[in-house]
Amino acid sequence: MSTKGTHIPDWLQVPFAGITPAPTQAKGQDLFPTGNWRSIRPVYRDKMPPCNNACGTNEKIQGYLDLVKRGKYLDAYALIKEDMPFPSITGRVCYHPCEQACNRGQYDEAISIRAVERFLGDFGLALPRDVVHAGPSNGKKVAVVGSGPAGHSAAYQLARMGYAVTILEKSPKAGGLNRGGIPDWVLPQDILDREVDRLRQLGITIKTNTEVGKDVTWDDLTRDYDACVLAVGLTEPNRVRAEGEDKDGVLYGLPFLRDIGMGTSKVKLGPRVAVIGGGNTAIDCAREAFRQGALEVTMITVEASAKDMPCVPEDLHDMLEEGVDLLHGRAMTAVLGNGRLEALQLRPARFSGAINASPIAIDREAPAERFAADTVIVAVGQHAALGWLPAEFKTDRNTIKVDQFGRIGGTNVFAAGDVVQLGTGQPLMVVNAVGDGKRVAFNLDHVLRGEPLRPRMPPVDVIVDLNRMNMTYFPRFERVKQGALTPASRRLSQDEVILALKEEQAVEEANRCFSCGTCNACDNCYLVCPEPCIIRLDRSNGLYKILVDYCKGCRVCIEECPTGCLEGVPELDFDTGVVRMETAFAITQGLHGRQAEELRLLPQRAAKEID
Amino acid sequence: MATALASKRSVRINGCVAAAQAAKYADVDVITAYPIRPYTATMMALAQMVANGELDAEYIVADSEHSQLSIAHGASSSGARVFTGSSGVGVQFAYELYSPISGSRMPVQMMIADRTLDPPGDFGSEHTDALSTRDMGWLMGWSCNAQEAFDNHLMAYRIGEDPRVLLPQMVCQDGFFVSHITSDCDLPDSGQVKEFLPPYKHPYPLDPRHPVSHGPQIMPEQGPPLQLERARAMEGAMPVIEQAHEEFARIFGRRYDPWVEEFMTDGADVVFFMQGGHAVTARHAIRHMREDGAKVGLVRLRTIRPYPTDRVKEVLSKFKVVGVIETNMSLGCVSSGGVLYAEVCAALYESSERPLVVSFMAGLGGEAIVQKEFHWMTQKMLAAQQRGGLEKRTHWVGFEE
Repeated sequence: MSTKGTHIPDWLQVPFAGITPAPTQAKGQDLFPTGNWRSIRPVYRDKMPPCNNACGTNEKIQGYLDLVKRGKYLDAYALIKEDMPFPSITGRVCYHPCEQACNRGQYDEAISIRAVERFLGDFGLALPRDVVHAGPSNGKKVAVVGSGPAGHSAAYQLARMGYAVTILEKSPKAGGLNRGGIPDWVLPQDILDREVDRLRQLGITIKTNTEVGKDVTWDDLTRDYDACVLAVGLTEPNRVRAEGEDKDGVLYGLPFLRDIGMGTSKVKLGPRVAVIGGGNTAIDCAREAFRQGALEVTMITVEASAKDMPCVPEDLHDMLEEGVDLLHGRAMTAVLGNGRLEALQLRPARFSGAINASPIAIDREAPAERFAADTVIVAVGQHAALGWLPAEFKTDRNTIKVDQFGRIGGTNVFAAGDVVQLGTGQPLMVVNAVGDGKRVAFNLDHVLRGEPLRPRMPPVDVIVDLNRMNMTYFPRFERVKQGALTPASRRLSQDEVILALKEEQAVEEANRCFSCGTCNACDNCYLVCPEPCIIRLDRSNGLYKILVDYCKGCRVCIEECPTGCLEGVPELDFDTGVVRMETAFAITQGLHGRQAEELRLLPQRAAKEID
Repeated sequence: MATALASKRSVRINGCVAAAQAAKYADVDVITAYPIRPYTATMMALAQMVANGELDAEYIVADSEHSQLSIAHGASSSGARVFTGSSGVGVQFAYELYSPISGSRMPVQMMIADRTLDPPGDFGSEHTDALSTRDMGWLMGWSCNAQEAFDNHLMAYRIGEDPRVLLPQMVCQDGFFVSHITSDCDLPDSGQVKEFLPPYKHPYPLDPRHPVSHGPQIMPEQGPPLQLERARAMEGAMPVIEQAHEEFARIFGRRYDPWVEEFMTDGADVVFFMQGGHAVTARHAIRHMREDGAKVGLVRLRTIRPYPTDRVKEVLSKFKVVGVIETNMSLGCVSSGGVLYAEVCAALYESSERPLVVSFMAGLGGEAIVQKEFHWMTQKMLAAQQRGGLEKRTHWVGFEE
C-alpha cells in the first residue's frame, strides 16, 4: 500500500479535490491565487485629458462633463468653481481652447464644452446661495487692483483661502474687461452683476471709482495691505499713427465698447462705419456698430484673408452673417476730411513677420485708396497705463515685470493678467487671465505663509492619441448645436445672440465626452474581467480595486478600457506583490518552501489597493 | 430479508442490454450518448426505456465522445448519477476528460464494449481501448457475460459513489463476445437494488444555493497533496470493493470473488491468466483438457484497477507456469506483447516461488480464441514446465508452429 503512512503537512492541506468556496467579490478565489501567472499588471493611471490641459485655468473639464452625464449638476458646478469663479461668463465669452484640443474633434466633432459650462454657470447663478464659501479668516489683508478677469479670479481664490480682500476698481462699476470689453449681446450685464454679487457674498470689499495712482498711491498699497495683486489690464487703446488720426469721427475700440458697457456712451455713429483691425475686439466693435445705428460696416485688416485674422472663428462667422464687409491687406495711412472724417486713405500692407503682432510693412509706393466713411473705429490692440508704478517694476514693453511666480521682485506684490502677459505669447483671453489670477493667488498664499514657491510642472501625460483608447465603445454622434437669434433680428438688438442649452441638451452633449485617459466608472473592466478580481467599491467616483493575487494579467480589462485609463505595467517593475511564475519554478533548494509559506499567507493578507 | 421479490425475473439478453438494464435499475439521472459500435446497442436500449417512460432520466446526445464525457463530468458535478459509455477510438477521443473526472472525484460510470483501435476500421473486440486509460484513476474491470455485466454495473455504482472512494468507474465487456451474445440474466426486484445502492450524494455538488468552485487553478506545491489523496482513494477502494461484493451476495444471492475467479485450479500446474469474455471458451477448453489429463486451470482477473497485487501474487505462486492471454496490445513493452504480462510479473516478483510466466498474443482484432488454440497454448505451457524454462517470452498465437 503505497499511501500507507503518508502524511500531508498542515500548510499543504487543501480541500477535497481542490473544491473550494466560490470566488467572492471581496476575496476572489480565496485559496488558490492565480496572480503568479501574470507578467503584466493592470494599473489605473489617470492621464491629463487634453481639454483640461488646454484650458487657461485648467478647469477639470472631463470631471464636470462626467458629473453632468450623471445629472449631478451641483457637484459639477462645485468642481468647475475650483478653478473658475464665473462659469456663466466664460460659458459665454471663452475662446474655448479646450474644444480645439478635444480628442473628439479628430473623431467627429469636438464636445461643445463652452455650452455645457454656460449651462452649469447659469445653474449656479440660479442657486439661492453659492456653493463656494470664504475660508476661515487668517487675519491678512490683500488688495486686488482691478476687477477684470484676472483680478476677479485672484480675489475669489484669496477669499476662499481666508484673506480679507479689497478690490480697487477705477470704473464706477466692477467687472473690468468683462464689463467694458464684452458687449451686452455676448454677456448680458445682469449675469456679470450677479457674478460680482457672488464675489461680495464671499466677503470681498469692492471699492469702485478708486484709481491707483490717483485715489490710492503705491505707498498706500504696500503700507495698508499684507499683499497686493495688480490686475489692472490693458486699458489704453493703441493708435495706428495715421495722419489726421485726431479728427472727429475717429473712435477707439476698447473705449467705444467700455462706454457702452458702463452706460456712459454719448457716441453717435454715422451711417458708414469702418473698423480697423482683425481681432476679437475689432469684431465686437463691428457688430456693435450695427446695434448703434450704422447702416454699412466694413472691417479693414492688414491680414491678407479672413483665416489669418486672430479671432474666434465662430465670432467671425456670426459677424459676417450680420452683414459686415471685409477688406483685407490694407492699412489706414491717413484720415481725410475737413476737420471731420470724410474718408480713409488706405494703402496695401502686410505684417513683416510671421505673427500678427509683428511690425506692419506698408507699401508707400502703391497708389493710395480712398475709402468713404463717416466713422472709423480703431481696434488694433491695447496697452497698459502704468504711470503710477515705480519704473523699476516695468518692462520695456510697458508691462509689469514679474518672476515666474507672478511676483514683483522680492515684494509681497504680485501681478496677473494681460498687464503681465502682453507680448509673452500667452493668449490675452479671459480664461488665461483667470488662470493667471488663480495661480498668482496661490503663490501669494505660499509667500505669506512662508512656504517655498514651486514652479509649474508641465503635465506628465496628456492623452492625445485616440489609439490609446478603445474607440469601439464610442459611436459617432454630432455635437449638439446651440441655438442663435437670426442675423436680421439680432443686428439691431442688445439681446443675447447665442442661446443656452436645455438641460437634456447639456446632458446629451456631456455624454459625448470620451473621458480621455481618465476613469469615469463605466464598469467595463469590472464586467469583462474573466476572474472576479476587479472590485467595485464605489461607482460614483470610478474607483476600482484589482485583487492582484488573482489577476492573471490577461489584459482583457486593459484592452477593453474605453478611456485608456487602465495600463499594463510589466510585473518586473514591481518589487512587491505576489510570487511570479519564473521564481515559483526556481530549482534552488529551499526557495520553493519559502515561497510556499509566502503563498499560504497570501489569502489572509488584505489585498493591496492599486490606485 | 425484508425485500419482496415479486418483480424478480429471468430474461435472455445480451451484454449491451444488460448494461442498459443495470443503468435503469440504478435509476440514473443523466445519460450521455454518442454512437459507436458495438456499445451503441446499450444507448439504443436506454433511449427506448426513456422514451417508454420506464426510466426518468435526462438523455443527452453529445456531438462527440469528448463532449459526451464533458457533459458527464458536469452532470456528475451537479450531483447527478451519470451513465455513459463508448467503444474503441471513441474511448480515446474522450481521453482528456479521464483525469479531470477522477481528479475532481466524480463517480461517473462508463460502460465499455471493447473495440479494436484503428486503423483499419476493425470493429472486433480488443481490450486496448479501455486499458489505455487504466492509469487515469478510474476503477476498472471486465465482465465475461451478460449477468456479470449487469451485476458489475450495479456494484461499480455502489463502490464508486461510496464517500470513502468517489472515483469514476469503467465497467468493461468484450465487444460481440459479451455485448452481442445473449445469455440468461436474472433481473432483480427494484427493492433489492434500493437496499444495495443508496442514492448518490456528492459532498460538494455544484449548487447555486451553495456555490463552490470546482477545478480551480492551483500552485505547483498544491498539486502533490491532491494526487496523494487520489492515490489514497484508489487504494482505499479495495476494502470497499470487498464489502460491496459481500453485500451483493447477501442481497442478490450471487457471489463473486472481487479480484480473481479461479476455475479448475485445484491441482493445476499450468494456468491461463486473462480478463473478459474469452474465459467462457477457456473454461470449456480446460474442461476438455482436464478430461485428457492435463493439469490446466484458469485464473480470471475481475478487477484490474485497483490492481490486486497481493492477491495475484498469492494465487499464481501456487502454479508452475502462468500463461497470460493478453487480448490487448502494448507495443514495445517489456514483453513486446501486452499489458497484462508486466502486471503479472511485477506482482510475482516478490514471491518466493515464482512460476514461469509466458505471454500469449491472442484474441486480438476481435478474433475468437478457438479451442484448438487453447490446446496449443497449454502444450506450450506444459513444455515449459517440463523444460523448466520458456521457449520464448511472448507467443503470437495462430502464427507459430
